[in-house]
Amino acid sequence: MLERLFQTNPTISLTRASMKIWFRDRQAIFWTFFLPLVLISVFGLLDFGAFRTVDLGIIDRADNDASRKLIGDVRALDTFDISDDLSEEEEREELLDGERDLVLIIEPGFGEAQSPVQRQVTVIYNQGRAQESAAGQTIIQHVLDEITFAEGNISERYSIEPIPVDSRNLKFIDFLMPGVVAMAIMQMGLFSVAFSFVQLKSRGVLRRLQATPILPASFIFAQVFTRLSVSILQTLVLVSLAVVAFDVHLEGNLGIMLLLALLGGGVFVSMGFAVSGWARTEDVAAPVANAIALPMMFLSGVFFPRDAMPEPLRAVADFLPLSYLADALRNVAVDGASLWSQWENVLGLMVWLAVTFFIAIRLFRWE
Amino acid sequence: MEQPENIIQVQDLRKSYGDLKAVDGISFGVSVGEVFGILGPNGAGKTTTVEILEGMRVPDSGIAVVNGIDVRKDPRAVKKIIGIQLQSSAFFDRLSLVEILDVMASLYHRQIDALVLLRDVELDDRADSLFKELSGGQKQRFSVASTLVNDPILLFLDEPTTGLDPQARRHMWELVQRFKSEGRTVLLTTHYMEEAEELCDRVAIMDHGKIVAMDRPAALVDSLLSRGFQKERTENLANLEDVFLDLTGRALRDE
Repeated sequence: MLERLFQTNPTISLTRASMKIWFRDRQAIFWTFFLPLVLISVFGLLDFGAFRTVDLGIIDRADNDASRKLIGDVRALDTFDISDDLSEEEEREELLDGERDLVLIIEPGFGEAQSPVQRQVTVIYNQGRAQESAAGQTIIQHVLDEITFAEGNISERYSIEPIPVDSRNLKFIDFLMPGVVAMAIMQMGLFSVAFSFVQLKSRGVLRRLQATPILPASFIFAQVFTRLSVSILQTLVLVSLAVVAFDVHLEGNLGIMLLLALLGGGVFVSMGFAVSGWARTEDVAAPVANAIALPMMFLSGVFFPRDAMPEPLRAVADFLPLSYLADALRNVAVDGASLWSQWENVLGLMVWLAVTFFIAIRLFRWE
Repeated sequence: MEQPENIIQVQDLRKSYGDLKAVDGISFGVSVGEVFGILGPNGAGKTTTVEILEGMRVPDSGIAVVNGIDVRKDPRAVKKIIGIQLQSSAFFDRLSLVEILDVMASLYHRQIDALVLLRDVELDDRADSLFKELSGGQKQRFSVASTLVNDPILLFLDEPTTGLDPQARRHMWELVQRFKSEGRTVLLTTHYMEEAEELCDRVAIMDHGKIVAMDRPAALVDSLLSRGFQKERTENLANLEDVFLDLTGRALRDE
């Protein structure tokens, strides 16, 4: 019964056919999965071999025998990459920028009395680098414990007051991965729709379909459904590979990224339909699609932050659909942003969806 | 259910493209089970007429009724019961012949045995091939097979033998005769007069958007002769095509 429905429902069978066609297209697979993987891999390998030491900043407000002993003991361990010549403010800045894993603050009067306050150090740690900061805290606590033992008074143990902060721990590949995902979605949506549709049109396949009682909506649903599924699959594959193979930090919720992929996919698929509605042949569709895609690739902050751009260019680049998609994906992936916090990017994508959808409908022709 | 007398009924049909009157007030009827030919030079309006009947084009005025359905009012209902072979057909890339036929059938909410259809047009050995891998004649045959997925009562064949070699053409003729024997009505267009003579019960000759003559082929020839027409002729009992077929055989070739 269900199988029969599967075989004889036009929309379902067209969708299955369009999936088969898509996944049998080696060129599409190459552009959609392979090339982005290569991009991520190349940059992943460039980042390779960075066995990290734990970066520790030290602020010694006490500047007494006890604090100097503590610092000396910590330094002797050779585990940390230590910086102790910056001001507290500068150190906190460094921490927020992800340049430090922890900042150790030794308050005035440290170790001079037995009161709990004077037997405590503050450690502000970078939440995003869970492993490094946890290891760092354990080691500092270990050093403090040794001092406690040496003093022979175990009742008042030296302790740590840990304060977590959210830092941006950007490796280049962390920054790059969401951008490449966004770019891959754009390429897939725009090119796969524009090309295949113009091809179907110019070869007369659409006309042959028109000779059947098919509803145009069934056909378009099949095409769109296929592409949106691919955009989700793409995101899943690329993000998983980046996390598993290149240790990319995924702070945010993958589900939110998939939702964004769906929305972004929608924008670029309807852009593809607009191009294919307008272009009669593949020879026209190709340069038009390229003229749309290439500038976005370089202006939308896929490979480098848009901050680096001159102001007038940036003012334009900020409004590109790929910018919205790349930013939203990046904020979620890197900062663990919620979907709600990305409302501006989501709104931007929705406006683009509305505009491109409207243009696609106006330009769309079967013949 | 009441069976309409004519499966196709056309009354004063008109369609213009700008100044060009592609179809200029034609009327005709086709009865059930008939093979009806529309002949005419290029640009005579054959294809436009056929496309209006198929529900693929909207006429400017006039009536076109297929199996009791007004084509202008419900083109989809007409498309459900007819099979259309376009002049140049194309199908999805990257799907096998069987897969294409299965999809085509589903568009009519049907399930078919694609291999049976392919066997009918002698393509069962190419079942897993792609459309683009077929030769010209095979493509044409597949295109005909694709029009049968909904078991149509009426078939439209637009120049079905153009570009085919004599063997493939004969095979196509056999197919048309089989459709007729199965009780299907066939409307075909052609440039080839011997094809019309061979296949058609009646023909309409079109020129400049009008039907200039319509009758059984033999009757048209008789009326020409009765007007005193005489062709310079030697009594040929065979022609060059007969020679060609004698030398190369009648079996289908897969170029």
